[in-house]
Amino acid sequence: MIRLFNVSKRYNDVVAVSGVTLEIAKGEFVFLTGPSGAGKTTLLRLMLRQELPSTGQILVNGRNVGALPAAKIPALRRSIGVVFQDFKLIQRKTALDNVAYVLNVAGVPRSQQRKQAYEALRSVGLNHKLSTYPSALSGGEQQRVAIARAVVNQPALLLADEPTGNLDPDLAVEIMRLFREINARGTTVLVATHDRDLIERMQRRTVILERGQVIAGGEPA
Amino acid sequence: MNAFWHKLRFFMGDAWEELRHSPGVNLLAVGTLIAVLFGIGLVALVLSNVETFVSELRNDMRIELYLEDDVSEDRREALRRELSSIEGVTHVEHIDKQQALTRYQDWAGEMALLVDALENNPLPESLEVFLSPGLVAETVGSRIYVEFSNKEGVEQVRFDRELLGRIEALLNMARVGGGGLGLLILGAVIFVMASVLRLAVYARRDEIEIMLLVGATPSFVRGPFLVAGVAQGLISSFTALGLVEAARRAALGYSGGGSVALFDLLLAHALSGRFVFALIAVGLTVSCTAAWFAVRHSQGLRKIAG
Repeated sequence: MIRLFNVSKRYNDVVAVSGVTLEIAKGEFVFLTGPSGAGKTTLLRLMLRQELPSTGQILVNGRNVGALPAAKIPALRRSIGVVFQDFKLIQRKTALDNVAYVLNVAGVPRSQQRKQAYEALRSVGLNHKLSTYPSALSGGEQQRVAIARAVVNQPALLLADEPTGNLDPDLAVEIMRLFREINARGTTVLVATHDRDLIERMQRRTVILERGQVIAGGEPA
Repeated sequence: MNAFWHKLRFFMGDAWEELRHSPGVNLLAVGTLIAVLFGIGLVALVLSNVETFVSELRNDMRIELYLEDDVSEDRREALRRELSSIEGVTHVEHIDKQQALTRYQDWAGEMALLVDALENNPLPESLEVFLSPGLVAETVGSRIYVEFSNKEGVEQVRFDRELLGRIEALLNMARVGGGGLGLLILGAVIFVMASVLRLAVYARRDEIEIMLLVGATPSFVRGPFLVAGVAQGLISSFTALGLVEAARRAALGYSGGGSVALFDLLLAHALSGRFVFALIAVGLTVSCTAAWFAVRHSQGLRKIAG
C-alpha cells in the first residue's frame, strides 16, 4: 500500500526526514511515533503530496507520488482519507455538509451525497448533529466529523496526524476504537502520534522515527 | 452534461455563501465597479445620443436657400426648376414666411415670444432642397452651395455638412480617446477589484487548504469565486444602468421637460440596446477577470495545490 525508498526531505539546511525506507502492507494498522520534530508530520505531508521529497521515491497505492503531475494530485488525495490534529473542518458548513463535501468533489450525485454522508456520521455516532456547525461541537465531536469525512468515500488508506492531540484520554480511546473499526473493514490505517500509552494499549505495529530517521519498525511484521 | 450542471449548481450555492460570508469585501468590490460603470454609462449615454443626432442629420441631408425679400414668384420658380433638375436632388420644397414663422414657434417654444413681439415677420422665405442620402449628397450639396450662393434672388445658402463633419470628427475623437481612457480605467479597476477579492480569498485560505487536502481540484475551489464574480458583474452592471437612466431622467426633469436644447441633444434617448449590452459585457469582463486574477495568484492556493 505504502512504500518509501530512501526518502529525504530538506528545508534549506534543516533535514526533516533522512533516508527513510518504509513499507506498509494493505490492510495494516500502523503507528508512526517519535518525539516532536522527528519527522512524523513531514512523512504524512510527503505521502499526501503536500511536499515533494528532496530525494527518494514514495509509492502510495501504486502511484509514484513525487512524480505525479499536478493535475493528478486531487485524485491521489481523494483516494486517501486524512484526519488532522486540529480537525480542519470548514466552519461555515454543517457537519453533514463537511462530510458531503468530499463526495461533492468526487462528483457523487447530490441525493447520494446526503445519504452516504449521513451513514458516515451515523457510523461515528453523530447522526443527531447533522445540522450543527463545527463551532457548536465539542473537540471529540469535531474529530469524529473529521473521521466521518475521511472515510465517507471508503478510501483504501487513512492517514491521521496526531488525531488525539487535542482530546482528553477517554476521547482518545474512543477515536482509536473508530480507527480499529475502519481498519477492520479493510482500510489501511497509518496514525502519527507521540502518545505512548495509546500505542501500548492498541498493540499494533509501530514505526519509530528519531531525527528524521526510522530507528525501528520499518519493515512489515 | 449532468456533471457540468452538478458542478454549476454547487458553484452557485457556494458563491452565494461566499457573498454572504464576506459582505464587506464584496460590497466594496461591487461599489467600485458600480461607480466606474456609472461613469462609463454616462459617457456612453452622451455618445449614444450624439450618434443618434448625427445619424438623423445624415439621413436628412438638405440645403436651405434663403431668398431675398423682394424675389419674384417667377424667379423663385426658376430657381426651383433649376435645383430640381440636378442629379442627387430628390425634391425641392418652398417654405413661405408664414410657414417659417410657424416652424420657428414650434421649435423655440416660449422663446418665440420675442419674435411674436415684432410687428413684421422677420423670417425669410426659403427653398429646401432634399438630397439623396449617401456620400454623393456631400458633393451635390457642396456644388449647390457654390453655384447658388451668388445667384439672383438668393440671400444665403446654408449647408450643414461642414457642421456635421465637425461633429463626426469630434465623435471619432471621443470614441478613440474615450476608448483608450476607458481601457486604462478598466485596467485600474481590475487591479483594485482583484486586490479586494484577494482579501476574500485570503480570508478563506484555511478553508481552501482543507478543500484541496480532501481532493478538490483547483478549478473546483476557484469555481465559486468565479461564479461570485459573474454575480458581482451582473449586479454592478444592472445597478449602474439603473443609475444612468435615473440620472438622465433627473437631468431632463431638472431642465424643465427638455426646454434646454443641449440636454435634449445629449440626453433625449435612453441608452441604446447596443450600449446596454456593451456595459453589461464590460461589467462581467471586469469582475470575472478580477476574480480570476484573485484566485489565480493566491499564493497559498498554488502551494497546496502542488
